[in-house]
Amino acid sequence: MTLLRRLTQGVFLLLFLGLFLQTESRGANDLGYPVKIFLDADPLVFLTTALATRSLDLPLFWVCVVVVLTALLGRVFCGWICPLGTLHNLAGALKRGPVRSRPANGYHWKYQFLIALMVSSLFTLQFGGIMDPLALLIRSLSVSVHPALQYATAAGFDAIYASFPAGVVDVSEWLYGLLKRGVLAFQQPLFLQSALIGGIFAAILALNLKEPRFWCKYLCPLGALLGFLSRYALLDRTVSEGCDGCGACVRTCQGAAHPDGKETWRKAECLACMNCDDACPRNAVRFGFRRGKGAVAPDLGKRRVVGSVLAGLLAVPLFRTTPRSRTGAADPQLLRPPGAVAEKEFLRRCVKCGECMKVCLTNGLQPTLWEAGAEGIWSPMLVPRIGYCEYRCTLCGQVCPTGAIRRLSPEEKAGVRIGLAMIDPGRCLPYAHGRSCIVCEEVCPTPKKAIWFETAAVKDRDGRTLSVKQPHVDLSLCIGCGICEAKCPVLGRPAITVSSVGESRSKDNQLLLS
Amino acid sequence: MHRRTFIKSAVVAGAALSLPTGFAPLVRRLEAAAPPDLVVVRGASPAGITRAAVDGLGGMRRFVSRGAVVVVKPNIGWDRTPEYAANTNPEVVATVVRLCFEAGARTVKVFDHPVADARRTYKQSGIADAAAAAGAAVRFVDERKFKDMRIDGLALKSWPLYTEAIEADAVINLPIAKTHGISGLTLGMKNFMGVMGGWRGRIHQRIDESLVDVTRVVKPALTILDAVRILTGNGPQGGSLADVRRLDTVAAGVDPVAVDAFGATLFGMKPAELGCVRVGHQARLGSMDLGRMNIQRIRL
Repeated sequence: MTLLRRLTQGVFLLLFLGLFLQTESRGANDLGYPVKIFLDADPLVFLTTALATRSLDLPLFWVCVVVVLTALLGRVFCGWICPLGTLHNLAGALKRGPVRSRPANGYHWKYQFLIALMVSSLFTLQFGGIMDPLALLIRSLSVSVHPALQYATAAGFDAIYASFPAGVVDVSEWLYGLLKRGVLAFQQPLFLQSALIGGIFAAILALNLKEPRFWCKYLCPLGALLGFLSRYALLDRTVSEGCDGCGACVRTCQGAAHPDGKETWRKAECLACMNCDDACPRNAVRFGFRRGKGAVAPDLGKRRVVGSVLAGLLAVPLFRTTPRSRTGAADPQLLRPPGAVAEKEFLRRCVKCGECMKVCLTNGLQPTLWEAGAEGIWSPMLVPRIGYCEYRCTLCGQVCPTGAIRRLSPEEKAGVRIGLAMIDPGRCLPYAHGRSCIVCEEVCPTPKKAIWFETAAVKDRDGRTLSVKQPHVDLSLCIGCGICEAKCPVLGRPAITVSSVGESRSKDNQLLLS
Repeated sequence: MHRRTFIKSAVVAGAALSLPTGFAPLVRRLEAAAPPDLVVVRGASPAGITRAAVDGLGGMRRFVSRGAVVVVKPNIGWDRTPEYAANTNPEVVATVVRLCFEAGARTVKVFDHPVADARRTYKQSGIADAAAAAGAAVRFVDERKFKDMRIDGLALKSWPLYTEAIEADAVINLPIAKTHGISGLTLGMKNFMGVMGGWRGRIHQRIDESLVDVTRVVKPALTILDAVRILTGNGPQGGSLADVRRLDTVAAGVDPVAVDAFGATLFGMKPAELGCVRVGHQARLGSMDLGRMNIQRIRL
């Protein structure tokens, strides 16, 4: 059984990683494969988003599959499918020394997290994605792990390329080309906060050294949710009279299921890994569809439940009382991706999975820190100086699992404004320094250019007249894509910058009277 | 085309036969000088007119020798489909690749260093698929292959240039004719911004001199200007079909300045109105004096 489970886990992990790597443009308009299918199957993402938005316009099919699967077979998703769970298994294999014979009794924590998340979702604060294992995994891989691996690989091959003889270089370049086609991103991804997000991910994996599957046992809110759902699962565990309480099963249990307690087996904590069945020297443990007896429901205690509800409640005003939520006081740098719904609704939907950042062509979509308030931490923001929004690309809307970024057709996208560009004449070459430039006009992608120029006569310090072309922004045409800011040769602080005023998703954050 | 070649050789042969034997070396020299300065072909098929233009200059063998490594440099700068005339026509590119192989080229490399995302420009322009189908090695630029090179030109002292373009046995420039804010038009010389690395936007400060400098270093063997469709407004990126005009024309020549000078006339401009043409002429990179040139016009 162990072999079969490991095989299944491996297949799902590879499937997940394959889909993750495919979440990248090949130049066509559509990605063409269901890259977000794991998040579509995530009941925690579904539930928190549905509660926060009070709507059900979310993909339903795969969530139903997981819910039914859990109701029938228990937490098989955790034990057999979840890619983060499999990574925990792998990290746990690094642990030396004996496993503690009696796991710590903190399994209630994850239920408390779950309750708090549900309560805050009910009051429209969407925080599910911060702790959801799939969102956490995709975010960590996108923003941190994949970029770091790419950096290391490229550094290695570049070193060979630069200093080894031709024969070696031929081989290494061939290998590099192979990796580029299969595993590496088209260009080195670079993200703000990659060290922070990667550090958290590493810490979560390192917890396995304290106790294997620490996260799954004590922290994972999705595991808690599936635990609730598995309460009446048909697949049950029976222990025959032959059990002499040797405790062999305890050391192999992946959950905090208390497998040696005949009367106190915690069904909701069982990951259905069936290690106890394999490990039992007397072959007393059986999994089957015969109703067993003696399983206990998770016992949280009233105080903990009340505490969690209060925490979830208090989180709402705590995270919401920020001046950033007032019109006109929002961070001007907070440019949301094209197709993003209005900010309030956006924050209720975004689960910070980072798929949009992974797929962004130019690397311009970056995780926020405080720009969107504490509530919006790690949500996507376009930073034009890092990468602009490619005029005909609609990939971020294609991968968003919760509709925080709507899926746009290229024609629709041409009419979506994410902000407005404005020129700083104090830094602009033709205005301030009498030099030709208008790179911004060249790269402006709207069919009728939003940047136009006026040929002006300026004088240099000797009084000679020079003719230069000075750019202007046509605010009725500018869509705020930021390519002008990205390509402006005035490095550092560019002479043309985009801010969010005028964004079409907002009713209030407007400039022109129309 | 073959008719022309035939008539040409018939005339030369006839002349040679009618001359005393002592004039033979002179005749040979005349024959060598026979190809026109520019060939301008108009016709419905982009492949057909491209082929005719190259044949009119004496055939691809004149530029590509057996076993040569050839760089074909189209404009793949923008994320636009072919009908928007922002990138070189894919059929023109594929035809030139085929002509190179027919002339015996070992490798034909096709690349550009685009402004927009390369994955999209290569795909959406149709050039990657068309050139690859013709057998070319279509590659994205590899940042490691930009090397700072001494130029000592009119505006540029040195600049990172793409080594593949510099080391190739022959570079064939395949621009498309478009309007452009700072340089007026973007034609052949402007197309060589695609072999430049670094922060290219800076060269806009002295665009005409910079383009002449880079063209002088790249030394294209042949320039074929794609004017199957030209972009008459909102260039170089376009995006509106109202700005596209169909001319069904290509113009080919050895002199990069002459081809650009001719390109200016397609937009109703005088060659000297285009800065890089004027500077290129003054710097003796080539000639903009179309009146003195032997321009062969073919209609298919």
